[in-house]
Amino acid sequence: MTKDPHELYWLKPGRYYLQGSEACVEGALMAGCRVFAGYPITPASEALEHAARRFPQVGGRFIQMEDEIGSASVLIGASWGGTKAMTVTSSPGFSLMQEAISIGIMSETPMVIVDIQRPGPGQGYITASQEDVMQARWGHHGEGAIIALAPASVQEMFDLTIEAFNLSERWRTPVLVMAEEPVAHLRELLYVGERKKINIFNRKKPQDLGIKPDAYLPWGHEVVAPMANWGDGYNVNFVGLVHKEDGNVTDWSPQVNYDCTRRLLSKIEENAREIAQIETKFIKGSRNVVISYGAVSRTAIEAVMEAREQNGLDLSYVRLKTLWPFPEESLREVINDVDNIFIPEMNFGMMKHPIVEALRDRCKNFVSIPSIGILHSPEHILSKIVEETK
Amino acid sequence: MSHGKRFEIRIAGFGGQGMVTIGRILGEAFSIYEGKNSANSQSYGPESRGGACKSEVVVADGEIYYPNVRRPDVLIALSQRALDTYLPDLRDSGILLIDPASVKDIPQPEKYRVHEIAAMAIAHEIGGVKYQNCVALGALYSLLAEVLKESSLRKAIADNVPPETVDINLKAFERGMSSVRRYGAEDWLRQ
Amino acid sequence: MLKYLKEEGLMGARLPLLLCPGCGHGQVLNYTLNAVDRLIKEDKIAKEKFLFISGVGCSSRLTSHYLNFDSGWTMHGRAVAVATGALLANPEFRVVVFTGDGDVASIGGNHFIHACRRNMDLTIVCMNNGLYGMTGGQQAPTSPRDMITTTTPYGNTEEAFDLCQMAEVSGASYVARWTTAHPHQVIKAIMKGIRKKGTAFIEILSQCPVHRKEEPAEMLAAYKRITIPVAKAKEGDKEKILVGEFCDHDKPDWNASYQRVIDRYKSKDV
Repeated sequence: MTKDPHELYWLKPGRYYLQGSEACVEGALMAGCRVFAGYPITPASEALEHAARRFPQVGGRFIQMEDEIGSASVLIGASWGGTKAMTVTSSPGFSLMQEAISIGIMSETPMVIVDIQRPGPGQGYITASQEDVMQARWGHHGEGAIIALAPASVQEMFDLTIEAFNLSERWRTPVLVMAEEPVAHLRELLYVGERKKINIFNRKKPQDLGIKPDAYLPWGHEVVAPMANWGDGYNVNFVGLVHKEDGNVTDWSPQVNYDCTRRLLSKIEENAREIAQIETKFIKGSRNVVISYGAVSRTAIEAVMEAREQNGLDLSYVRLKTLWPFPEESLREVINDVDNIFIPEMNFGMMKHPIVEALRDRCKNFVSIPSIGILHSPEHILSKIVEETK
Repeated sequence: MSHGKRFEIRIAGFGGQGMVTIGRILGEAFSIYEGKNSANSQSYGPESRGGACKSEVVVADGEIYYPNVRRPDVLIALSQRALDTYLPDLRDSGILLIDPASVKDIPQPEKYRVHEIAAMAIAHEIGGVKYQNCVALGALYSLLAEVLKESSLRKAIADNVPPETVDINLKAFERGMSSVRRYGAEDWLRQ
Repeated sequence: MLKYLKEEGLMGARLPLLLCPGCGHGQVLNYTLNAVDRLIKEDKIAKEKFLFISGVGCSSRLTSHYLNFDSGWTMHGRAVAVATGALLANPEFRVVVFTGDGDVASIGGNHFIHACRRNMDLTIVCMNNGLYGMTGGQQAPTSPRDMITTTTPYGNTEEAFDLCQMAEVSGASYVARWTTAHPHQVIKAIMKGIRKKGTAFIEILSQCPVHRKEEPAEMLAAYKRITIPVAKAKEGDKEKILVGEFCDHDKPDWNASYQRVIDRYKSKDV
């Protein structure tokens, strides 16, 4: 990674040796993000520091806010001000951002929040964790749905951050990148292709659809409403109240309330098949599946391959690239009738719940394999599997 | 494993000895300059200076899944506590590199290929204890000369230290290369 | 001023205002729109450049419902932070923050003092009624000692903030206090604030006749009685509330300072 401050706009095509946190920030820049607000917290501070160096280089703006609530609030203002914006934080800061996420969902604001999780509760510790994966879905007050991605490598910290921006712009929603310290602090090769070959999506505006200000319905026209930004001349009003499709917040009724929050929920949940991604290996005909996500999937695939090659075990591998919306349909497409589903997580079994809900008619035995505060070793996962399948 | 063989290096000591930097240097040397794949990670005790610190590099031609060291081929131990903690994991006949100033006691040295480098003393001579990491790196290089080119390491060092210290770090590296000794074999040389 | 208000629209009928009869906030809206109108005409600022952001509370209802401008009715206490974000996206916005004493100095206190410290280029119009109006009349950090409110039924045992002192000490460029009984001064102050590059904090004592259980006309008259302009204040006027301009600096706002960093470090191939 060059140190010349005048050299880099977007990463030029090539191979780089970067930390996950750095790759995440580079992905954001590649996606066109030009505002970064953050607050120092271990293990996310490296991302802030990298952003502080890089954002001015691309003509963007970095601000260290007074707290995480301020950081999340800046994302709302910057997004409505017309720019892609992001923050990177860790679990205690993530808790503080929930109100902003909530209003981001209601107001359908594109924004990206990266949570480099750490063990909790409370101050917890500063090492590896996946303890926020339920908070990602349910931490914001109120109904509504959200998109959360789980990168498993430095390459994915880059690729999935770009994807996070694309999804947030496409679906007009906050998108969470649920990272962990073992990947955020890991250094690995990052392959960057030509920018014009990378798919970058920008929010649709009413101007693009030929809709004039006096005909513009802020929450209408399409399933995902085109978004007029401040300064576009549309006299657009950001508001966090329950509203009708035409923007009316005055004529509240239970039906209006139902329709509004139902629409926000459906916007994401009904498009889960398109949004949510999984990855599989050795799945066809396998009776024992290991389902994992994020950093743990690195250990899981190592364990699965070793078990197959050295012990001749029938084990297959499924990785959730998207945590929310939960990829229920995709999972049911690849898992038909199995004996055991093993779910290693760096928590006591959080994603186990939607997995069981999705597959309880296809499997009798769901086994959590927790590791708290530290990434599982292959031995840890394998010994549990061997014990269970004896 | 079908994803290829791994070569694993673990560097351990206490915080402030520059292990994280040499882990990064090694990782970059292998990945950027040698065309291999590598994963470099680190972990700490809670204190930033003086607490336990470990840096790891996993090298492979193919894809690296589990990013941490499982059974190191090489252990650099820059403190007694680091040696006590991590020696049991080292492969039989693995390379063990220690600084005799801080590591006095090695159980069953005959199981391994043990070498020593007076990293702290040499660094002190050159200009400061903070250069001990590149001294150790030089020593390591001469033990791994078939696996890694000197030019790759020199370029990686230049990329990862403050520009005004590149020369002195390279000097530390060169001193390390020429000062590494087989453990126990040098007593008669010193007389 | 009506052209700056939405009478009808997607959000429903906007007029009459939902504010209580005699509420001072309607006056503040009037004065603000007067100021903005004069700036549009005198300084030829395009109407699209104006952006009104508010938090939550009676004062914050002035955005969105009524304004024919870009606006944001955001989170309680966070208007200043959201406004900061807008300025980072587009330094050319002329941002006016409508807020109240509780919104800006209680839950929003941290963002308030930091925005002043950063000298963000925004104009904070703080309607101070010394209580929480929307939620039913609870104490605020600006409620004087001994005041009876719904959460200080035995009398307030705490002291009140001096919001202008906080703004000034935190680094705001322009700080002034007036009341709803000083229309011309308020209009001039808001104009000056918007023209000022940097943080302008304009505190306007604004009557809440419903929760104070007083007649609005008497409250306005009282505002004239209990206040004294800074220029005229003498040693013996300790009982009175100072009004007027407390500071007026010209110094670079946050975006101007940061722009120097961008200009220096921006990549050559941008």
